[in-house]
Amino acid sequence: MRVLLVEDEPTLNRQLDMALQQAGYSVDVSVNGQDAWALGDTEPFDAVVLDLGLPQMDGLTVLRRWRSSGRHMPVLILTARDNWHDKVTGIDAGADDYLTKPFHTAELLARLRGLIRRSSGLSSPVLSCGPVQLDTRSGLVTLDGQSINLTSHEFKVLAYLMHHPGAVVSRTELTEHIYAQDSDRDSNTIEVFVGRLRKKLGASHIETVRGLGYRLVAPS
Amino acid sequence: MIWRWPLARPGSLRWRVLMATLTGLTASMLLAGWLLSSLFKEHVTRQFRSELTIHLDQLAARLSVGPQGQPVMDSAGLTDPRWQRPLSGRYWQVDERRAQPTQAGARIGVLRSRSLWDGTLELPPDVVADGSVHTHTISGPAGQPLLVVERSVHTAEQTQTVWTLIVAADFHESEQALQSFNGMLTAALGAMITLLTLSAVAQVWVALSPMRALEEEAAAVSNGSQQRLTRTYPSEVQPLVSHLNAALDAQAEHLSRAKTQAGNLAHALKTPLAVMQHAADHALTDADASVPPVAQALAQTVSQQVELARKQVDWHLRRAQAAARAGLGKTSCSLWPSLASMVRVMGRVHADRRIRFDLPEPVSPPLAVEADEQDLHEMLGNLLDNACKWTTTCVSIKLEITDAHATVLVEDDGPGIPPSLRRDMLMRGVRLDESAPGSGLGLAIVNDLAHLYNGSLVLGSSSAGGLSAVLTLRRLSQPSDGVPTVGA
Repeated sequence: MRVLLVEDEPTLNRQLDMALQQAGYSVDVSVNGQDAWALGDTEPFDAVVLDLGLPQMDGLTVLRRWRSSGRHMPVLILTARDNWHDKVTGIDAGADDYLTKPFHTAELLARLRGLIRRSSGLSSPVLSCGPVQLDTRSGLVTLDGQSINLTSHEFKVLAYLMHHPGAVVSRTELTEHIYAQDSDRDSNTIEVFVGRLRKKLGASHIETVRGLGYRLVAPS
Repeated sequence: MIWRWPLARPGSLRWRVLMATLTGLTASMLLAGWLLSSLFKEHVTRQFRSELTIHLDQLAARLSVGPQGQPVMDSAGLTDPRWQRPLSGRYWQVDERRAQPTQAGARIGVLRSRSLWDGTLELPPDVVADGSVHTHTISGPAGQPLLVVERSVHTAEQTQTVWTLIVAADFHESEQALQSFNGMLTAALGAMITLLTLSAVAQVWVALSPMRALEEEAAAVSNGSQQRLTRTYPSEVQPLVSHLNAALDAQAEHLSRAKTQAGNLAHALKTPLAVMQHAADHALTDADASVPPVAQALAQTVSQQVELARKQVDWHLRRAQAAARAGLGKTSCSLWPSLASMVRVMGRVHADRRIRFDLPEPVSPPLAVEADEQDLHEMLGNLLDNACKWTTTCVSIKLEITDAHATVLVEDDGPGIPPSLRRDMLMRGVRLDESAPGSGLGLAIVNDLAHLYNGSLVLGSSSAGGLSAVLTLRRLSQPSDGVPTVGA
């Protein structure tokens, strides 16, 4: 899953970037409102962590512009202003959740997981597809109850597919959602990751829809 | 427009203007009355004296000296019967006096009219020069007031004897006429004073009507139903209104700057706290356990102190912001839209919990309560957030409205709070259960803000066994936020 992190404080930006990557997200970072708006307006993100006090363009303006141009990715607002009036303003501007500084990293990750899950129409933190289960809280993947070791990229591909069960996901879409913008993207590597996942989970879990992409299915 | 009796309490502007007007009016009327009465009296007296002087001249023409040197009055030509009728009030008399007042031999009433009967006219002793006429006021034989004129008459042969011719008439009728005139004058002036007083009251009423309008607008600003003075006033009052509006604008600007600075301070403090919190979290949850025990203990301390600092910052910032807003005087806000906004926020913030909210129907007309919009959000937000944290399935919100108050009842179906601990929950930083996230400030903040606006917060048990929080605020006539309808 690909997350846009918008935070102008360098240390906190670096810390959150690291924490999000460790949690299995592909992270794009931005330190000002103008760049954040441009990124969010052009790149497909699964979620955005948005600070409100930003240089060049404040977070609420960025959010309103995204919403007015039809960008509906879930947005978690991060701000120092801890009063309900500001929360009302943020939610009314189009935010999906609100976290005030200082915060525990675990709470940020939990809220982010909840946002991404709900935006996919899922309610349980444990995603299931037949015998395959992915616990979004711990990042643990099991097959028939047995833990499966996945590399970072394998996990990202599987997580994206499990957040879109039954949907055909193109290689381009997968590429856009597992790589950050500055990464060395190669859509051919997706085939490699899918091949490895099929070996670990069973070939029948991931179907190839010719000319369109891949689909995660529960084997009959 | 509020009608008030124009004669306000002593010391008021209305009272001062009316008293000054009435005092001047009364003094002027008294002076005018005295002048008119004096002039009339002078005129009547002069006319009366003039008439007596004519009689005096007639009598002098008829006065002659007899062979023995005695005065003789030819009274045959005196046709006025009052000279003859006893005590008629019209008299004449001839006295004999010496050229020198110290000489002996003066006689009073040598000749006198028949009307004097046996009496004489006693005049003050004075020397009347030739040709001059003296006037006196004396009491007559019947006790009536007499106006007396006298002149001296002498012959060339009698150098040592001076005859004094005296004519007197009853002044009683003239005095009655004077009294009648004074009575009418008093009545006329009294009526004039009354009319002018009513006129002055009307003038004061009209002149001060802009002040009443200003008072109404100032009251509206004070109770929060409007932010500025908006009406147009006379040129004498408009500068005052402009200055007041400038002061209100400056205060609002000051508040806005204070709020911005408070927000900036929060940002300046909390971002470094977030960095420290994150570093501490990282040290405490490091997966490879490479962090030495000392550093872990340090991280634990940092984490605790960050949490404490956050509480302190939140508490004092909220208090400072609320106090700054309260310093502006009464403000009002529509209750239902704020409630709906907060329920919408709770739906997002607690989306994972899938809580059902029972929200009452919109209130019409808009229900305004005495509270700043931000503070109302803070009170409702904290109440609902607390209920959402502890409820199992449902948060129920009810509104109870009286003439003076609006009550928001928030109930949950969670574990509730034992009665003995409810008072502690309204104290800053007290948390009964550390398992749920939170600062322990929420209910204390609601309690503080409610008291700031002369309201109250009471905790109890809900019908479902959970906590019920009853927030009571004062109703105001009109919201100052200009919300035209509820549920917008």
